[in-house]
Amino acid sequence: MREWLARLRDWLRRDRLDAELTEELRFHRQQLEREARHAGADTEEARYAAARRLGSGLGAREESRDRWSWSWLDHLQQDIRYALRGLRRSPGFTVTVVLTLGLGIGANAAMFGVIDRLMFRPFPMLRDPARVHRVYLKWNDRTRARVMPAFVYTRYLDLKKWTSSFSQYAGIADATMAIGTGDAARERPVATVSASFFDFFDARPALGRFFGAAEDVTPIGAPVVVLSYRFWQSEFGGRNVIGQPITVRNIPSTIIGVAPRGFIGVAGRAPPDLFMPITTYAGNSPGSSDRVNYYKTYNWGWMSVMVRRKPGVSVEAASRDLSEAHLRSWNAERELDPEATPAEIAKPSAIAGPLKLAAGPEAGLEFKTLLWLTGVAVIVLLIACANVANLTFARVLRRRRELSVRLALGVSRGRLVAQCLTESLILAGCGCLAGVLIAQWGGVALRRLFLPAGNSLEVLGDWRTLAVASVFALATGILTGLGPAFLAVGGDLAGSLKAGAREGTQQRSRTRSALLILQGAMSVILLVGAGLFVKSLINVRAMRLGYDPEQVLMVGRNLRGMQLPDSSLIVLHHRLLESAQAIPGVEYAAFVSSIPFWSTSSTDFFVSGIDSVGRLGRFTFQSSTPDYFKTLGTRVLRGRPFGAEDRAGTPRVVVISEGMAQVLWPGREALGQCMRIEADTMPCTTVIGIAEDAVQNSVTEEQRFRYYLPLEQIRPAGGHTLLLRMRGDPVAQVERVRKALQPVMPGESYVTVRPLVELVEGNRRSWQVGATMFVAFGGLALLVAAVGLYGVIAYNVAQRAHELGVRIALGAQSSHVVRLVVGQGVKFALAGVGLGIGVALLMAKSIQPLLFRQSARDPVTYGSVAGLLILVALIASAVPARRATRADPNSALRTD
Amino acid sequence: MLVLKTLCTQSMHGYGIAQHIHRLTREVIRVEEGSLYPALQRMRQKGWIKSEWRLTPHNQKARYYTVTPAGRRQLGEQESGFAEVMAAIGRVMRPA
Repeated sequence: MREWLARLRDWLRRDRLDAELTEELRFHRQQLEREARHAGADTEEARYAAARRLGSGLGAREESRDRWSWSWLDHLQQDIRYALRGLRRSPGFTVTVVLTLGLGIGANAAMFGVIDRLMFRPFPMLRDPARVHRVYLKWNDRTRARVMPAFVYTRYLDLKKWTSSFSQYAGIADATMAIGTGDAARERPVATVSASFFDFFDARPALGRFFGAAEDVTPIGAPVVVLSYRFWQSEFGGRNVIGQPITVRNIPSTIIGVAPRGFIGVAGRAPPDLFMPITTYAGNSPGSSDRVNYYKTYNWGWMSVMVRRKPGVSVEAASRDLSEAHLRSWNAERELDPEATPAEIAKPSAIAGPLKLAAGPEAGLEFKTLLWLTGVAVIVLLIACANVANLTFARVLRRRRELSVRLALGVSRGRLVAQCLTESLILAGCGCLAGVLIAQWGGVALRRLFLPAGNSLEVLGDWRTLAVASVFALATGILTGLGPAFLAVGGDLAGSLKAGAREGTQQRSRTRSALLILQGAMSVILLVGAGLFVKSLINVRAMRLGYDPEQVLMVGRNLRGMQLPDSSLIVLHHRLLESAQAIPGVEYAAFVSSIPFWSTSSTDFFVSGIDSVGRLGRFTFQSSTPDYFKTLGTRVLRGRPFGAEDRAGTPRVVVISEGMAQVLWPGREALGQCMRIEADTMPCTTVIGIAEDAVQNSVTEEQRFRYYLPLEQIRPAGGHTLLLRMRGDPVAQVERVRKALQPVMPGESYVTVRPLVELVEGNRRSWQVGATMFVAFGGLALLVAAVGLYGVIAYNVAQRAHELGVRIALGAQSSHVVRLVVGQGVKFALAGVGLGIGVALLMAKSIQPLLFRQSARDPVTYGSVAGLLILVALIASAVPARRATRADPNSALRTD
Repeated sequence: MLVLKTLCTQSMHGYGIAQHIHRLTREVIRVEEGSLYPALQRMRQKGWIKSEWRLTPHNQKARYYTVTPAGRRQLGEQESGFAEVMAAIGRVMRPA
């Protein structure tokens, strides 16, 4: 080891050692001369004698030099210098390759960063993450199979009692709660967790302690909280806060500890600002008796369960154990509620799945889109590789004569391969650097699209992403360097020595043509994907939601758990509504019981002549104050909307959606029909209007059966959200509206204001993301492919300059030459288009679910992509073709 | 081994080492310069000897080599190994 270090040190100062050795040998010779002189020789003779004895000194020097120079290290250095010199001499090639690879590697690094954070990266400080799972319950609904991580607290207790595969259990639920009092109160993310939660981690509190089992008890846990390190720093400046009071929602609590820096628990969304015992949260939740008895009944599914497998228990065995426990728990529920679906039909089971929801069985459309995009990023890199390989091929071919000469002079083939590889690895390394910078910059956009707020997408400081980028770069370097390297040293040496650059390229261009066609095909696939997603997005945007959310603000009132009698609630709602209507800029205002894309309500109703309405589909209702239709912009097609005259005590009325009218009274007039709401003994509720269909939960839902009831006739104290239709830009007026309404709220309660569009946009996001990313990647791919095509055609033209010159000299029209060259480019493009469309058609089926009202085999998209690619091929080959015609035939004829 | 042994008594320059061995072995062994200097470099890298530039008694600049403690240890091992081999060879060569 020490010897290696010494050798390395010597290698670094080898020039000085060389000089010293020369000096030493000179001294030696002087001594020998002196010796000879003593023996009686004259000066001249002494010098000869010495020289004879010593030799030239070259031998000694060479051999010594071997001691401090490692030949491979020297060779490497030479290769690097040689490669750098070569790359500097062709800056166009270098920049193209580095940028191409940079874009490819950057795209992949950024996508990896996102995927890794969403799906793979273990939570900080989690001990032995491979054995920690989230429990997903499976059962059959009336209509379909369900898989959900949602738990009832009682079921959590059941599973804890009836399983034996796990060493640790914890219940977890993310919530948003108001923290603080007065004007400083803000809604913040809170993690409510079992006391056992902290034992899953190797985490010591930065201050104080975590809560213990004695503080996490049914029915109501102790009012204690642990702050997150970040919250402690930002809100308390890192003071000693142990024992201080803090109001969380309506719970006056005590701070008992601060979590260590970087501890986020298992937050799926924003990292929590504080941790609270799960039973403190549940026990203090206002509501019906269902909630009060949350640990005895099975009615309130609100939490998630994480477990740690015992050593030696397989995931399958653990899931079996969980399934049996779920079955027992299901039967226990049936005993309390005989109405529940029997276990034979529901077939309850459970799985020990991944802790991260994005990696779990219930990952949403967005995650699926994300996985597709990762595939797309890899394709972009492959295209980039193909392109770079092609450019390198061209370079090697151009240098073929030089390489042959060097081979003939006795340079070993291994050295030449090493040289080629060094060059491509240097290029890949530069590409990696560029890629990391691109990822860092482009990652900001990606993070906004995919990751919850508060998550950073640092690339430069993140070793996992950097490592992946380096691996990509290494693979790229080898992939793009190896082929050309073997081309460089293979083949008939004498032939290429004799013929120069002109001949012997026919066979090699086959590989390059294949690469080119592959590039074209992959670009086609990406562009088709881009086209499909863009059309989906256009469809989503163009689809009438059944209301106009753009001008609407949503005002939520948060009572912080305060229990008001109905009479006070009604007064409060009236005052809010009146105050809102008085705000300048508010056109209409309505109080509603459900929010589009957020919540729905449903209840039983009966229609004479129909056995079970529920079998026809899912009907949801909205109850509202008058002006609902004006506020949201839902059109009433026939009849009339309900108004101020439809009060408690007047005949009950309802407005139904068109789709609902058609399914309940097909072929008949729905106006004037009678619905009995809640029970078939209730008086008639008369249909007075037909409204347009409106989207409720998700833009993908097909059934839009919806009815609208006057709030006053259903539940006068109901409703919780105020919708305001604004004049002018609603976003700019958010704060003004909040300030105007806040004084109406009693005590510690407060209002929140946000634009309704936020909710709608959230629902359109997966197409938005898909369209943006596919277009970005598709454009990138097209650009890269165009550059590749141009490069290859231009190179071919240069190669054929002689032949073309002869043709022109023999009287070929320049238009013929152009047609010849362009025809070649178009042939490549056609082959690529054919292959790409074929593959895209094969993949169409699997991408279909991600699209919105858009066939994955849309001929228009395919046609325009094909046209686009051919157009690009035309342009890319037209430029070299023109250059070919301008070439002077004389110069072509004179060479060689 | 010979070089190390030579340097044990005093530090010397390359020419001196060659002369010394030449003299001590009664002119039987002559160390070729072509192998002496590479050997010196190898031993230096292994950490057995170290070198420094000094002036000779004749006021010439020369590189002197000195044995390090590691070199002495190495010499000890080599000597005992050499003695064993010599003894073995001696037993073979002695008439039975």
